[in-house]
Amino acid sequence: MSQTSTRMAAVIRDLQKHYVLKSETVRALRGVSFDVPEGDYVAIMGPSGSGKSTLLNLLGCLDQPTHGSFLLGDDDVAQMTDDELSTIRASRIGFVFQSYNLIAQLSVVENIEVPLYYMGNLNAKSRKRSIELAKMVGLGERLDHRPTQLSGGQQQRVAIARSLVNDPYFILADEATGNLDSVTTEEILALFQRLNDEGKTIIMVTHEDEVAEHAKRVIRLRDGEIQIDEAVKDRKIFTPQQIQEIAHNADVASRGSE
Amino acid sequence: MLYFRTIKLGTKSLLLHPMRSLLTVLGIFIGVASVIWLLAIGEGISKEAQRQIEDLGAENIIVRSIKPPDESGGNFRQINAFGVTRNECKLIGNTIQTVKRVLPIRELTQKFAYTGNPNVKPIDGRLVGCTSDYAEVTRLEIERGHFLTTREVELNRPVCVIAARLADKLFPSEDPLNKQIYLPEKKEYFKIVGVLKHRNATAAIGGSLAAQDFSLDIYIPVTTMRVRMTDQETKRAGGSFSSQLFELSQITVQVSNSEDVPKTAELVEATLRQNDPDRQDISVVVPYELLEQAKTTRLMFMMFMGLIAAISLIVGGIGIMNIMLATVTERTREIGIRRALGGKQKDIILQFLVETITLSIVGGITGILMGLLCPIVVDISRWGLEYFAPQLYAGLPEVARVMRPTIVPISIPVAFFISVVVGVFFGLYPAVRAAQLDPIEALRHE
Repeated sequence: MSQTSTRMAAVIRDLQKHYVLKSETVRALRGVSFDVPEGDYVAIMGPSGSGKSTLLNLLGCLDQPTHGSFLLGDDDVAQMTDDELSTIRASRIGFVFQSYNLIAQLSVVENIEVPLYYMGNLNAKSRKRSIELAKMVGLGERLDHRPTQLSGGQQQRVAIARSLVNDPYFILADEATGNLDSVTTEEILALFQRLNDEGKTIIMVTHEDEVAEHAKRVIRLRDGEIQIDEAVKDRKIFTPQQIQEIAHNADVASRGSE
Repeated sequence: MLYFRTIKLGTKSLLLHPMRSLLTVLGIFIGVASVIWLLAIGEGISKEAQRQIEDLGAENIIVRSIKPPDESGGNFRQINAFGVTRNECKLIGNTIQTVKRVLPIRELTQKFAYTGNPNVKPIDGRLVGCTSDYAEVTRLEIERGHFLTTREVELNRPVCVIAARLADKLFPSEDPLNKQIYLPEKKEYFKIVGVLKHRNATAAIGGSLAAQDFSLDIYIPVTTMRVRMTDQETKRAGGSFSSQLFELSQITVQVSNSEDVPKTAELVEATLRQNDPDRQDISVVVPYELLEQAKTTRLMFMMFMGLIAAISLIVGGIGIMNIMLATVTERTREIGIRRALGGKQKDIILQFLVETITLSIVGGITGILMGLLCPIVVDISRWGLEYFAPQLYAGLPEVARVMRPTIVPISIPVAFFISVVVGVFFGLYPAVRAAQLDPIEALRHE
């Protein structure tokens, strides 16, 4: 695939994952290989049982493959201990979940700081960065709010800010718009596009075609193998005006809800 | 910074369920407070017991006369003398080298009256015949006047020294010194030459005697008592007479050196029993031995109290563990999020341990504060009991009324330390369980 000059955010070679259930072995992934260059925007799709979630867990360093290699920068994740995996999650992966997964006891800015906390990097500078990220996702005036005081879209924006705080290799979004209505979905997708335009790598797991249309590239899984890996033909792109408008609307809407 | 953050987070999580946290803290609170309370009360009781025994004098050996069971069956014409005699008293003083001095004591229950004030009714008290050494050996202190002098004893003078409470009762508004006390049963007058200071009762001697209460005593020279009242004591009670014949009711043998007490006690006993090894009318009490015994008892008592307190702490700890297990289940999702965002297993363990330790330290500190209130609370409850249920209060054993709880200083750090240990011990399992959750499973948890 793409060569030399572009650096790789992730290199995946012959990745296999087998689960042993009683006497039976389930081969959830049967040898998956692909590269994610920096600045890519990949949508991973596939019906349930296709190995989508397994791949997501492996990409998120939450699990280790049975066979194959997964290079993040220069590190092979497949060889890591539990603590090393934790460190890599804290330092180089940005998670965005379907159900936001913010910590209820913490404020917006504290939630954004959680990965830094586990890296042991909390200081005044990191606090400043967290606040900037909160501003960037349009929540600069809600730094001290609790997750329960925010709407779903706002919570997801906090989660996106959190995923960026450790300057990750890539943002790993797991059905990030699955719990949101169409307007808010658009808002999040516009945000993703903006981040991608700024050079962030995004890997997005979804089962919705409308969402996948916003990515640059789609990988379709079936039965634990890659069925299709292609560039998105008619990619939906928000114009800069649209992005601005959507951000503005979201801002107005959130002000109105107060 | 990071630890501060962890503690802050732990506190926040606990405050999310204030009632639950409060109840959990209560377990430790009660445990710690009871450690301090039980030890303080135990110490207070044993100190009191020890003091009572020490009042008897650790260097003393006490020989009491015991009235044998009445075998004459109402035939009082033939009265047998019992008890320790004056000769024996002299013999012990003269023959045993380690003995410093021997005090002959004769006690009678009597009515005391003051004829100068018709409003004062006769009071039942104890008439003690003794020598001038008595005050020193039994540690009686003089408030005013002087104790019986050697000269007064030698000359059989009709003088007396009275105890403080008796003085208060008989002379509510007068100076007792140089007044005459009248003994209606004996038809005798005694001039008061001294008044004693207030004093608490001493320990019971042997098993057969009640605690000695000095508060209604009158002390007269034992010689005067012999001359004026003889050795026979006849009492009339409701038409029938009872008569006793005894020379002395007690001798107190003071030993020069308290190390010689056990040896001397054997000699005293041997001397008294030389003719009749099975002699029943005396009993030899060695406060020194009682003291040793009391020390052992105290240790056992403290251990027992400590055990009870330890049990309540364990119960508190189980409470913590129970709550934390529930909390871990409840917060599985949060654990999953934290693991996904880079929390190591040890971070999760630390997070939950901080919570349990916070709970147990809060319980520990409040428990210690409550523990320190022990003496005040005991005083207040005594006062309350005395005020609202005086009869019940009077029925309490002496020691419960006079005992002062003594906070054992070491119990405070120990209680605190134990509460932290309980927090760690009972918090560790839930914390480890939380940390060992599979992050993928935990994230999926609803």
